[in-house]
Amino acid sequence: MEGNTDTSMSSRRDKVDIGADKQVIKGLSLIGTAEAGSPAVVDVKNGRITRIRPLDYEWKYDKQDFNVWKMEARGNSFGPPMHAVLGPIMTSYKKRVYSKNRVRYPLKRVDWDPNGAQGSTGPGGRNTQNRGTSKYVRITWDEAAEIVASELKRVGTTYGPEAVLSQSDGHCEGKHLQSARGCMGRLLSLLGGYTIQMRNLDSWEGWVWGGKHVWGCEPVGEMTPMADLYPDIAQHTDLLLFWGCDPETTAHAINGQMASRLCYWLSEIGIKSVYVCPDLNYGAAVHADKWIPVLPNTDAALHLAIAYVWLTEGTYDKEYIATHAYGFDKFQAYVLGEEDGEPKTPAWASEKCGVPEWTIKALARDWAKKVTSIVHGNGGPGIRGPYSTEPGRLEPMLLGMRGLGKPGVHQAKMIEWPMFTEHAPLPYQGKIQPVLPHFADIIPPARGLSGQGLGAYTPKPHTPELNEWFEAAGLPPTQFIPKCLVPDAILHPPISWWGMQSFFGPASDQFVKHTFPREGCSEIHMVWTDSPCWTTCWNDTNSFIEAMRQPSIECIVAQHPWLENDCLLADVILPVATKFELDDIGNDIGSGVFTSMYLENQAVDPVGESLGDFDVVIKIAEKLGLRDEVAGKLTSEQMRKLAFEWSGVHNLVSWEEFKAKEYFVIPCDNEEKTPGLRGFYEDPAANPLTTPTGLLEYSCTALEEHFPDDPERPPVAQWIETGESHDERLSSERTKDYPLLCMSNHPHWRMHAQADDITWTREIQTMKLKGPDGYMYEPVWIHPSEAKKRGIQFGDLVKIFNERGVVLGGAYVTERVMPQVAYMDHGARWDPIIPGEVDRGGVINTLTPHNIISKKATGMVVSGFLVEVARVTDEELAAWRRDYPEAFDRDYDLATGVSLSGWLIEP
Amino acid sequence: MSEKKAFVIDVARCSGCYNCQLACKDEYCDNNWMPYAKPQPDVGQFWLRVDPHECGTIPKVRMHYIPRLCNHCDDASCMVAAPDAVYRREDGLVIIDPEKATGNRALVDSCPYGVIYWNEELNLPQKCTGCAHLLDNGNGVPRCVEACPTDAFKFGTETELKELIAEAEVLQPLQPKSDHSPRVYYLNIPKGFIAGTVYDPVDREVVIGAVCLLTCGGDEWTVITDDYGDFWFENLQQERQYDLKIESTGFITKSFTALSPVKDINLGDVPLDRKA
Repeated sequence: MEGNTDTSMSSRRDKVDIGADKQVIKGLSLIGTAEAGSPAVVDVKNGRITRIRPLDYEWKYDKQDFNVWKMEARGNSFGPPMHAVLGPIMTSYKKRVYSKNRVRYPLKRVDWDPNGAQGSTGPGGRNTQNRGTSKYVRITWDEAAEIVASELKRVGTTYGPEAVLSQSDGHCEGKHLQSARGCMGRLLSLLGGYTIQMRNLDSWEGWVWGGKHVWGCEPVGEMTPMADLYPDIAQHTDLLLFWGCDPETTAHAINGQMASRLCYWLSEIGIKSVYVCPDLNYGAAVHADKWIPVLPNTDAALHLAIAYVWLTEGTYDKEYIATHAYGFDKFQAYVLGEEDGEPKTPAWASEKCGVPEWTIKALARDWAKKVTSIVHGNGGPGIRGPYSTEPGRLEPMLLGMRGLGKPGVHQAKMIEWPMFTEHAPLPYQGKIQPVLPHFADIIPPARGLSGQGLGAYTPKPHTPELNEWFEAAGLPPTQFIPKCLVPDAILHPPISWWGMQSFFGPASDQFVKHTFPREGCSEIHMVWTDSPCWTTCWNDTNSFIEAMRQPSIECIVAQHPWLENDCLLADVILPVATKFELDDIGNDIGSGVFTSMYLENQAVDPVGESLGDFDVVIKIAEKLGLRDEVAGKLTSEQMRKLAFEWSGVHNLVSWEEFKAKEYFVIPCDNEEKTPGLRGFYEDPAANPLTTPTGLLEYSCTALEEHFPDDPERPPVAQWIETGESHDERLSSERTKDYPLLCMSNHPHWRMHAQADDITWTREIQTMKLKGPDGYMYEPVWIHPSEAKKRGIQFGDLVKIFNERGVVLGGAYVTERVMPQVAYMDHGARWDPIIPGEVDRGGVINTLTPHNIISKKATGMVVSGFLVEVARVTDEELAAWRRDYPEAFDRDYDLATGVSLSGWLIEP
Repeated sequence: MSEKKAFVIDVARCSGCYNCQLACKDEYCDNNWMPYAKPQPDVGQFWLRVDPHECGTIPKVRMHYIPRLCNHCDDASCMVAAPDAVYRREDGLVIIDPEKATGNRALVDSCPYGVIYWNEELNLPQKCTGCAHLLDNGNGVPRCVEACPTDAFKFGTETELKELIAEAEVLQPLQPKSDHSPRVYYLNIPKGFIAGTVYDPVDREVVIGAVCLLTCGGDEWTVITDDYGDFWFENLQQERQYDLKIESTGFITKSFTALSPVKDINLGDVPLDRKA
């Protein structure tokens, strides 16, 4: 078959031009606010992005320069590849930059008139009742800035400056100069104050409100320090329990895929991986030696039965408990049923958690026999479910019974490797961690309250120039509302709650009561958001939609690169440029490959009339005569150099060389660290935990002191079947109508709300399923046995629903999820049929519980709640089409989904 | 073995992240690499497509993923179908010439592996080029290989990869029994499995150490149940039928006959009754 072999290759070679006009480096983590993440090289030609590829670290250096790290165990070794390991969203991020969903110019809601009185409807009115329904018209930047500036002035004068709520937290692109969060705080502060939405500890709820009371481990209640955990695990651990952990999902858009490589290696060297989760998640699907399905949010029952086996068989570390624990006798009495007459046996637990009694005993005994660590990756129902404080406490208690801190016995993570720890769990990761200043102060605590905002990443002292920059906007917010209580604060003021005065506050903050509005302060009348994803990420979001449609909320401003979610509730929408369109400086401290810093040059011109995040605020500040105060004196080039000089990297490489090469790999450090809590294990008196006793508290002394009679979070962790706050168990009366437990994971194909519009991932069936009507629906996983009962076939259009609302989806019938469970990822874009009632886009969070974790634990509940799933009949769909034609007539791009064109009224 | 380029894909190291499929789109959608390739449509076509495979029933479920792309066959049906429009390079990569193949819809059906797509807008059959335009300009490997986070993809000459190729298999064409000498090789594609959990329904304990004997014709395999009472027989030939016997001291032996792992078999939680 050589007959038509091409012989003119050289001429062909000459004709194609694969080259780029320029190549720039961009960090593609979507965690935002902490780091810029895995570095990629972006090729640009003729002003367009050609391709995105992983950075080859040896591009401009020799690997000898890196002092490459390595860990060795069991005759094997593991180290980094010489290139960045990008996740799938990073690989396809070009589509996000050029999405049909981009906000291309300023928009105003067509029937919102800023001259209308509060509550006015019809022509010339504010028509707040139409938010989520009415469309948008294009306005000029000048008009938009004028409207926002005059509304800020009017609201401030009428009600007080704190009548403006700033929603400015959560994940985003990793930007530093034009920080994607918090830029408006500087202007609002100059206007005399504001109300800040204080992000609750959404990723770690059960650990924060529960775990911290057992083992301290500030600031989020997961095990810290995490130094050198994986070398220790590789050498000593025989069994890894991936408990609600998906190493093939949550790390993808934050860190990349080093976790995947690590999981393969840990299996190769003979460590068993057992996955405990309701779904065969993406990690379990390829890495699990065994999958133990457990019903959503019933982990506490399983924990207690395991403790029961160890207690009755005498197989726990009694010596360790004698020296490292407080209150163990009370826990033992509870487990054995001496208090309530109900021994927490495997048979008792099996009824609740759906794991066969014999498998519970087998797991308990295997765990007792083998050196075991538990692995997490954020997400999952256990730690974001009703009463998540209980599994959040029971897990460290079980680890204590196994001698927590001894070789191979840890809680480890497959995500957030650089966070909350001085040294990373992968070894020798760089001599320094280059932290970069964010040029916006993100969720600072309100006036008179202590604590760190996300300014935790910009510790002081700064250089004099940076100090001047930050001091120029010195006023803290006037008051705060925990994010999970924003709907209540608007719909039912005044409200009170415990804790949450800052994002990373100590456990003791949880015993301070706060009220909104503060004495002499206004309620909320205006909202300015740069993180418009409340609807698809938080709790009972139909109540948020209701709050945002109140006449009292006279003006809502959103600034964002994409027209999605809460943007559709806004009156004015301001276009923001992605990081590809801006100059910046970035750091990778979490990918786990190498620690590096890089210069992020502008790749392409801003899309449409979009501007950097700060530049948007400056436009408005100009109208208020505050341009210089907000903009400061620094040019972006000066900012980049100041950030560099402050990062510590300037001690390793000159600015000139860094600027020329555009990246720098921090040489690895060869020093072995003390792994995890080894110090506490070896000498608890010398190395106490941060609990009040310094010990592992099986009866939490702070709860004994402050809330001894709280039935929803008693001093000793318990199984809570039902309580004042939640009735979300399969034993509930509600199962008559809602017999399935819904689990909602961190999304596999999104980073929470980010990246729902990538056309290339949307054609993968686990991301979207094409419905019979051609719409791309969010998949609802359901077991074949449950599908059969309901007459549901794979791909059918279904509704998932409870008292709180109805969400449409595509039936993904699979053996990968337990019977009695419905599973839908969060973060799909809102596409309301009836705002606040029926959603077509797949926003599962509209169905999540309203109440916080429990009365005195101010966190949200977004997984492990009751629902039903049913086929949508042709008649039902036809009725919605008839009654809400505007929802179905909106232009819908089959590849992108919800797009700008669907919400825009063209002139 | 030859100096022709080949791919070796280790299915056991494929995590199913789809980076290869996405990187292919990043390279070819909205990019024109003439004379090698015109743009790939944004959606609906996959010059590299990852096929997910869900195996077994709860809780004995596993996934594996097969990335499918042009096999750059040594005996390429597309070259036979359109000798003027399809050519093989010296490095073995088979390329559809976008100019000469315009309008040749029959090329789509000529491919025994179903990896040629019809671009309606350009009136053109299209497929993987092995990123020849990049290789010719100093890029060592195609985008899919570069994007793989776990090194599941290898790319090189058949000589360089000969040790892996010796262990590998190729995909079956849509019409079986035809041989096209494909140059995309696969390692560790799982075959059928038979699995279960053995337990004692009276004591309500798993049975550890039970001897599970699987037989088929004259062949037999033994697996001892593990700490969870589990047994897994893997890589079974799906067209054969198997008998299974589970024995444990003090229990009545349990037998299963004519098990056919065309679809993987999970026998579930298998109770063993105690002897009287």
